[in-house]
Amino acid sequence: MNIETIIESLVALFINRPFIEMLIKVLIFPGLMFPLLFVVFAVWFERKLLAKVHLRIGPLHVGPGPLGGIFQLIADALKLLQKEIIVPYNAHKILYNILPLAMPMISLAAMAFIPVAPFPSVGPVDYLVVFYTPYNILVVLALFAIHPFLVIGVGWASGSKYTTMGALRAAYQLLAYEVPVMLSAACVVMVTGSFDLIKIVESQANIWYILLLPIAFLVFFVSMMAELGRRPFDIPHAEQEIVYGWATEFTGVHYVCVMFAEYVNLCVASCLVTLLFLGGWLGPVLPPAAWFLIKFGIVVVFFLMGRGVYPRLRIDQLLNAGWRILIPLALIQIFIILVLAKFAPWILPVTFVGG
Amino acid sequence: MSIMRVRWGPQHPVSGQWAFWLDVDGDIVVNMEPDIGYTHRGIEKVAENRTYIQNVPVVERTSVFDAGNIVFGYVQAVEELMGIEIPERAKYIRTIVGEMSRIVSHLYGLGLLAIAVGFETMLMWFINDRELFLDLFEMLTGARITYSFFIPGGVLHDLPQGFYDEAMRRLDYFERRLKDYWKMFFLNRTFITRTRGVGVLKREDAIRLGVVGPNLRASGVEADVRKDEPYAAYDQIDFIIPTEKEGDAYARGGVRFHELEQSVSIIRQALKKIPDGKIRVKVPITPTPPKGEAYSRVETARGEIGYYIISDGSNRPYRVKISAPSFRNLLAMPFLSRNVPMADIPTIYLSLDLIPLDVDR
Amino acid sequence: MIKVEEEVVETLKQTFTEYVVEAKVQREKRVTVVVKRERLVEIARFLRDNLQFDHIASVSGVDYPEKNEFMVVYHVWSIPKKVLVALKTSVPRDNPHLSSLISVWEGVNYFERETWEMFGIIFDGHPNLSRFLLPEDWDRGFPFRKDFKLRTKPE
Repeated sequence: MNIETIIESLVALFINRPFIEMLIKVLIFPGLMFPLLFVVFAVWFERKLLAKVHLRIGPLHVGPGPLGGIFQLIADALKLLQKEIIVPYNAHKILYNILPLAMPMISLAAMAFIPVAPFPSVGPVDYLVVFYTPYNILVVLALFAIHPFLVIGVGWASGSKYTTMGALRAAYQLLAYEVPVMLSAACVVMVTGSFDLIKIVESQANIWYILLLPIAFLVFFVSMMAELGRRPFDIPHAEQEIVYGWATEFTGVHYVCVMFAEYVNLCVASCLVTLLFLGGWLGPVLPPAAWFLIKFGIVVVFFLMGRGVYPRLRIDQLLNAGWRILIPLALIQIFIILVLAKFAPWILPVTFVGG
Repeated sequence: MSIMRVRWGPQHPVSGQWAFWLDVDGDIVVNMEPDIGYTHRGIEKVAENRTYIQNVPVVERTSVFDAGNIVFGYVQAVEELMGIEIPERAKYIRTIVGEMSRIVSHLYGLGLLAIAVGFETMLMWFINDRELFLDLFEMLTGARITYSFFIPGGVLHDLPQGFYDEAMRRLDYFERRLKDYWKMFFLNRTFITRTRGVGVLKREDAIRLGVVGPNLRASGVEADVRKDEPYAAYDQIDFIIPTEKEGDAYARGGVRFHELEQSVSIIRQALKKIPDGKIRVKVPITPTPPKGEAYSRVETARGEIGYYIISDGSNRPYRVKISAPSFRNLLAMPFLSRNVPMADIPTIYLSLDLIPLDVDR
Repeated sequence: MIKVEEEVVETLKQTFTEYVVEAKVQREKRVTVVVKRERLVEIARFLRDNLQFDHIASVSGVDYPEKNEFMVVYHVWSIPKKVLVALKTSVPRDNPHLSSLISVWEGVNYFERETWEMFGIIFDGHPNLSRFLLPEDWDRGFPFRKDFKLRTKPE
C-alpha cells in the first residue's frame, strides 16, 4: 500500500458531503460553537442591557468601540481557570469535583437534540441537528430535569450551610415549575400529534402556537424562567439571603463550569420557546437559520429582562404561583384544546383520532 | 429537622460590618442575635480627649451617610452649653443642609431596601440620583460625604453664587424622578408581595422597644423632633410628618419615600425664605463652656439622635453620650426576626435601615 | 409653656418625698430628677404609668472618680407630653450595682448592656450582660472609666 492510496482513502473518508455536514452540525451551528459564542455574547449583552435599564453605561473597555466589554468574559474565564481549586474541609471530595463538571456536559447534551433549521441543500431535506430522534422534545425536557438534581447534589457535597439551604430551595423550586413545564409542553404535543420538534415547527406554517395557545406559551415561559433560575425566580442563588446559594463554595474551574452551564441552559430554553411557540425557522424572504436566530434573540432578551424589572420572589410565593396559577392555567389550556378539537377542529393543524 | 445555627455576616453580600447569629429550622428563623462591634471606634471616649471644635469631624464619623444631621445634634448641644443663639441665616442654611442630608441618606436606605429583595435596578436609580445632592454638597461645602459643615456658632460658608438656581433645577428634576420611583418601585407587584406584612412592628411594640424615626412613624406614631421640639428653622416652615399604620417593611419604605417629598418641599421653602445676614457668631477657637449639661435631640434620617454632653468648665467635654438612632432601632431586629422565613431577614434588616457604623459608634 | 414640666417635678416631689434628691426644670421640655437608687425601679414605673414617659431615649454612665461614684442617667421621652426627663441616680464606684429597668422600659436592654461593658456597672436583673461592642477577648478593663489608660502611640 503506497502513500497515495492512503491519502486517497483518507480523502474519500473525510472530504465528502456527509462528513462535512456532520462536522458543521457538531462543531459549528447547533453544536459546540453556537452555545460557546452564545454564552460570550449573552453575558456581554446582559451586562449592556442591564446597564441601560439601570441608567448606567456598562462595560466600555476590553473590546472595540460599541462592543466594549465583549472580551471581558473570555478574560474572566481565563483568570478563573488559573485560580486555585479550593475544596472545603467538610466537602465530599469526589462529588464536589465531579458534579460541577457534569453540569455543562448535560446542558450541552440537550443542545444536541435541538433542530435549528433545514440544512441548505438541493437534495432531500436535511436538518441542522446533531442527533435526530423523533422524540427529541422528551429527551430535551428530560435532560433539563436532571439539572436540579445535580444542584441538590452539589449543595450537599459542598458541606456548607448556605449551599445546603440553596440546594433545599432548588428542590422546592423543582416542585413549583416541573409540572407546569410538562403540561404546557403537552399542549403543543397534543395539538401537533408528535413529539418531534421538526414536525412541531412545520405544523406552525399557518399559525404560530403563541397565537393558538397563548396560555400554554405564558405558562411555559414563566416556568422555564423558574427552571433557569432567572430573576424573579433566582431563589436557589438569592445573593442577598444565602450568599450565592448552592454555588457559594465554588472557585476557579468549578465556578466557570457552573456559570457556563447556566447560560447554556438559557440557550436551550430559548431554543425550545422559539421552536414550540414562535414557529422556529419559519418566515419569509430571509434564510430559515436567520429567522431562527432573530426569534431566538428576542426570546433571550425577554429572559434577560426579568433581572431588570423584578425583585425576587420568596420560595413560598413561588410555590403558590406554581400550584395555584400555573398548573390550573395549563389545565385550562388543555381543556380549551379538547373543546376546540370537538367543536372547531379546522382550527387545529391535525385531526384528533377521537375528535 | 434539627435547628441549624447560621452566621449571617460579616462576610456576606448585604450584612454590612456586623453579623447575625440565626437559628434556622428548615427555612424558618426561630431566633436571632446580633453580633456587633466590628466598627466600634469608641467615639464617645475619643471625644472626651479633644476640644469641642475638634470633635465636630469626630462625631460626624458616627454615621457618614447622614453627615449633616449627625453633626447638627452635636453643635446644638455645644451651643446650648455655651448659651449662644445663632443667626437666622445660619439656621436656614442648616435646615437646607440637614434636609439634603436626609434625602441622600433616604436614597441610600431605599436603595438598600430594593437590593434586599433583589431589585438591582432601583438600587442603581437611587444611588444615581443621590449624586444630584452630593454635587450640591460639593458646591456648598467643598466635600461630598463628610463635610463637617456645622460648627458651634453657625455654619462654615455662605450659600455660593448660583446655588439657588442650581438647587431649584435639581429639585425639579428630582421631583419628576420621585414619580418614576413610585411607579417603578412602590407599585411593583412583586415588591408589594415581598414587603407587605413582612416584619410587622405594632404601635405598642414600637414604643416599648424605643424604636425611633421612620420606623416609629411607619407604626402609626406621629413623633418627629422637627415638630415636637422645633430646632433650626423648622418652626417657620410648613411640612407634614408622613405616617403609616401598617408597620411592615412596605410602610417603612413608604414613610421614607414620603419624607423625600417633604424634604424637597422644605428645601424649596427654606431657599425662598432665607433671610440675609451673618452666617455665624464669633466663637473662640477653643470654646470653654461653663459647667453644666445639655441633651440635644435632632431628627436624623434614621431617627432621633440624642447628644448628652456634660461640661466641667474646661475646653474638653467631660462626657459625650451619643444615643444613635440605629442603636435604638437595633432592638427591633431580634424582636421581628422570630419565626420568619430566612428570605425575609434582609428585608427586615434593611427596611429598619440599620447601619453598623451608627450602632457601634 | 413650662407648665407641664413643673407639674412633672411637683408630682414626683410629692409622691417620692425623701427619695427624690433633686428635681428641677432645666429648660423648656427638659426635666432633671436625681433620685436615690433604692427606689429607682418604683420611680421609673411611676414615671411610665402615671406620667406617660414611655419612650426610652438613652442610658448614659458618667464616671466621677473624685466623688468615688458613677452617675447613671436615663433619658426618657414622653410621646404624649413631649417632655424629656433625665432620671439620674448615683452608684458607688467600688460596688457598682443597680437594679435593671428592663422590666419598666424594654428599650433599655442594649443601653444597659453597653453601659455595663464600658463602665462595669452591674445591672441586677438584666437577662444578658455579655460582651457586646468590645472584642470577645477584651481584657483591658472598662474603657469609658476615667482611669482607663489610653494608648497614645502604638506599642
